[in-house]
Amino acid sequence: MNADRIIAVRNNKTVYRDGERVLKVFDETYSKADVLNEALNQARVEETGLNIPRILEVTVIDGNWTIVSQYIKGKTLARLMEENPDRKDEYLNLFVDLQLEMHSKVCPGLNKLKDKLSHKINETDLPATVRYDLQTRLEAMPKHNKVCHGDFNPSNIVITEDGTPYILDWAHATQGNASADAARTYLLFWLNGDIDGANKYLELFCAKSNTEKEYVQKWMPIVAASQLAKGNAKEREFLCSWINVVDYE
Amino acid sequence: MENKERKIVDSVDALKKVIARVREAQRKFSTYSQEQVDEIFKAAATAANQARIPLAKMAVEETGMGVVEDKVIKNHYAAEYVYNTYKNVRTCGVLEEDKAYGIKKIAEPVGVIAAVIPTTNPTSTAIFKTLIALKTRNAVIISPHPRAKKCTIAAAKIVLDAAVAAGAPEGIIDWIDVPNIELTNLLMKEADIILATGGPGMVKAAYSSGKPAIGVGPGNTPAVIDESADVVLAVNSIIHSKTFDNGMICASEQSVIVHKNVYDAVKAEFAARGCYFLKEDEIEKVRKTIFVNGALNAQIVGQPAYKIAELAGVKVPVGTKILIGEVDSTDPSEEFAHEKLSPVLAMYKAEDIHDAFEKAERLVANGGYGHTAAIYLDVTTEQAKIDEFASRLKTCRILVNTPSSQGAIGDIYNFKLAPSLTLGCGSWGGNSVSENVGVKHLLNIKTVVERRENMLWFRAPEKIYIKKGCLPVALNELKYVMGKKRAFIVTDSFLYHNGYTKPITDRLDELGIEHTTFFDVLPDPTLSCAKAGAEQMRAFQPDTIIAFGGGSAMDAAKIMWVMYEHPEVDFMDMAMRFMDIRKRVYTFPKMGEKAYFVAIPTSAGTGSEVTPFAVITDEKSGVKYPLADYELLPDMAIIDVDFHMSAPKGLTAAAGIDALTHALEAYVSLMATDFTDGLAKQALQMIFKYLPRAYDNGQTDVEAREKMANAATIAGMAFANAFLGVCHSMAHKLGAFYHLPHGIANALMIEEVIRFNASEAPAKMGTFPQYGYPHALRRYAEIAEALNLGGENDHEKLENLIKAINDLKARVGIKSSIKEYGINEKEFLERLDEMVEQAFDDQCTGTNPRYPLMSEIRQMYLNAYYGKKHFVDEEKPNEADIAGTEDENKVKKAYLRARVGAKRA
Repeated sequence: MNADRIIAVRNNKTVYRDGERVLKVFDETYSKADVLNEALNQARVEETGLNIPRILEVTVIDGNWTIVSQYIKGKTLARLMEENPDRKDEYLNLFVDLQLEMHSKVCPGLNKLKDKLSHKINETDLPATVRYDLQTRLEAMPKHNKVCHGDFNPSNIVITEDGTPYILDWAHATQGNASADAARTYLLFWLNGDIDGANKYLELFCAKSNTEKEYVQKWMPIVAASQLAKGNAKEREFLCSWINVVDYE
Repeated sequence: MENKERKIVDSVDALKKVIARVREAQRKFSTYSQEQVDEIFKAAATAANQARIPLAKMAVEETGMGVVEDKVIKNHYAAEYVYNTYKNVRTCGVLEEDKAYGIKKIAEPVGVIAAVIPTTNPTSTAIFKTLIALKTRNAVIISPHPRAKKCTIAAAKIVLDAAVAAGAPEGIIDWIDVPNIELTNLLMKEADIILATGGPGMVKAAYSSGKPAIGVGPGNTPAVIDESADVVLAVNSIIHSKTFDNGMICASEQSVIVHKNVYDAVKAEFAARGCYFLKEDEIEKVRKTIFVNGALNAQIVGQPAYKIAELAGVKVPVGTKILIGEVDSTDPSEEFAHEKLSPVLAMYKAEDIHDAFEKAERLVANGGYGHTAAIYLDVTTEQAKIDEFASRLKTCRILVNTPSSQGAIGDIYNFKLAPSLTLGCGSWGGNSVSENVGVKHLLNIKTVVERRENMLWFRAPEKIYIKKGCLPVALNELKYVMGKKRAFIVTDSFLYHNGYTKPITDRLDELGIEHTTFFDVLPDPTLSCAKAGAEQMRAFQPDTIIAFGGGSAMDAAKIMWVMYEHPEVDFMDMAMRFMDIRKRVYTFPKMGEKAYFVAIPTSAGTGSEVTPFAVITDEKSGVKYPLADYELLPDMAIIDVDFHMSAPKGLTAAAGIDALTHALEAYVSLMATDFTDGLAKQALQMIFKYLPRAYDNGQTDVEAREKMANAATIAGMAFANAFLGVCHSMAHKLGAFYHLPHGIANALMIEEVIRFNASEAPAKMGTFPQYGYPHALRRYAEIAEALNLGGENDHEKLENLIKAINDLKARVGIKSSIKEYGINEKEFLERLDEMVEQAFDDQCTGTNPRYPLMSEIRQMYLNAYYGKKHFVDEEKPNEADIAGTEDENKVKKAYLRARVGAKRA
């Protein structure tokens, strides 16, 4: 490994740049299956024709599973938004267009979003009653097969110098209902403290995809519960306020 | 009575075992009598009723929602009202029977019901569903909501124990003890029917389980208060309803829409009765508290008003009944415009009643489609508003001056609305049921229907005058009995100009009956001719129409009669084909209100004087309209041989053979009856005997002429009631395509049709209940017998009949093929397919004993054209095909019997 520099350090992985390549090195605690699944997801999504970094290699470096992929040179959309607050609307517009382009793709090999959400709901420590209501709600939602990113937020979009946008980080990709993916993005804006951005995003997404806002909102208790499964104590109270709602009777 | 063997249902395995056990119990239960069931139903209702208070307490304690005293009412209602409504309703065995029509309806249970019970009414819904299941001999497995499982199961157990003590099979009611989505889904998949009450999520899951589901939807009830309403009654009804069980009834009012003229009065009344009007900033606080991301905050459901206010940071007195937010928007983005499941109410001001209706419609669209809407007004003066409200609102219950919580569940504020805790919302709410769910939705109704024969009748003109010289007597009756004053005669120019109408007009003159004559009828009468005649009729205003001549004059007169009495009718409608004249779409206009119809035939053939038929041609389009309806039946027919004597030979032959085919087709028709059979046979005997004489010596042989005149009318009565067959279908088109006289066209086709019909194994037989099996062969043999034609078996008799007919045709100068009538072969072949399709579609085809395929009609036309070969069926299996089977002899005998035309047992 000839890593120039560390790009990012997360809970149990470290991302290095190595020339034109990016190495995502997972630590020992990380499940091999999850690493391979992430690489497979990304490889599958490559086939849809979306602009994403290409997988170059999956290997083991010093005992650590590593995904090697193409390095995309550019700035993340999150950084661009920060640097040019006056152009935020323009970036949001691009952001939503990109997400809709992704939703227009199908990728039959990906896992099902519904299964993933159901699994996450069961992983939470919510009371059985609340989990039952969430499962019922999930059960009733329409099941689609659109490519969903699962962590679609401005920091996962890189714009190259010539303006080409790339979508990064396919660890959470699934196929399913686009509105669930949008609800998750909305939640990520909130969690990032950008409530104004969240609302603008939702308006834009609904307008461009011709979706009722209520329909996206129906997913919010579910995506909040799946976020809760990550066990971030700081988010707990906020997420519970989103979760603790009832279906009309 | 504890069932000691019962293990807790908390896993897929345990649930599968329970389903199997319950199914077995239900199998036993399905054999119970109505008396046994009624006893069980009563015992179960009584037990549930007695437990109403402890169950209500348990429900509030466990769910932390609602009001004990109101839940007591719900439990009480579920036990008592449901029992009272259904106690005498039959739900087992024969429900109804009509022996005359041979129809019987039998009730059978559905099987195992998966009952999904909501948290809002956890005990009363359990009582309701188990009771109606017991009444219908069904088993129930309950999937309680985890938040209310203890009380729901307790309610189910009380009903179960009482039912078993009263004789129900052990374990007829069961439940999931530890509910989770996997078990609920499994239960819904395995049950025979799902009775789903609860949130839309659960209802959708039920509908997608693949099993029939009776699901019900959410409500968003608007209550409109019109300016004519009794404001005090309206406001207090709404308060009464909205506070019931802290607003958790799905039918509960969610918004009030008040006519501006009574807005202040309504507001004052709400305020005076303990409701709190939120101030602007408070509205916003409550909005954000009760809804999160467009969903209802679980913490406020079924809570008292002050608690909800407290959560929102608004201070109101503890005794506050309802929090009212005065809002303007009915848009989905307005939180107050949704269902709130709590004592929180939106209030709108309407400019007028139409504005109120519009708002109500929009609110219903916000998640309340199909449920309930309420209106308050003065019913004595404002029925029109009720009608408009009812027609505009897409809700399955429209309540008038009625608190909606207690009103929609039925039998409390109106005693014809079925009591139910499961309210169907119809297709608008995505449900399969739009009514209040009851026992009828849990039954399979078997209908047992016995074969019955079609009702038939026999219709003929009220008077048929017969015998030579009867005309003057008949005309006397017009004058002296009926007092007729103005007669309109319809005839053709030949008869008119040659003085044949003179005996009639002279007699009318003597009687002092005014008359006029229309004599422009041509063969194949046209619409324009009929219009001209009807025009003259309108000018003359006759009270009697006398049709005089052959089929053309009589048909033309019938059409003029229709146009005279009903100028508004459309011929396309009247000519619409029917399968059964008594079930036709078109209702023929009532005839005879202006004029009495008299028919006097001058040839012995058509029978139109006694038939309900008439054919008219639209000369512009060339379309022939065959009209048929008993309204077209003449009132009087006069068969006076004096008018027949001068008919020429050709006409005598053609008309005579026409009458012959009328009788033949009527005899084998699907609709032949004992009444028409006698007439047909009598006519045939007379035609065979007298047609040659009438043909040879028509000008002098009065006896033969009279017999032929009578025979034609008798045959007419037969086919007026039994109708005709495919010979006439084909003859109609052959005549129309090539201008062959109608009688000749029939003569050319009849042999083919007899051979075609006589098949014992036709490709398709005609459809009519009294026509049990193909038996036209026997019918033709019966005719041969009546004519004494001899023959050892039915096949021989058939051949003898065909020979006799062919001999008669030849005897009266009729040629034996279409070709011999000079019809060009090339043209015939070119137009054949068109003619085939038209013949197939002819009105006469429907009563033919053999339902013809178009290919078969085509073959018959071709055979008749060349006159060289005759119709034979496609090859069928015969005794050679079964050689070698054990039963060979027996089966061979069957084939043999068929071949010789032996009469069936």
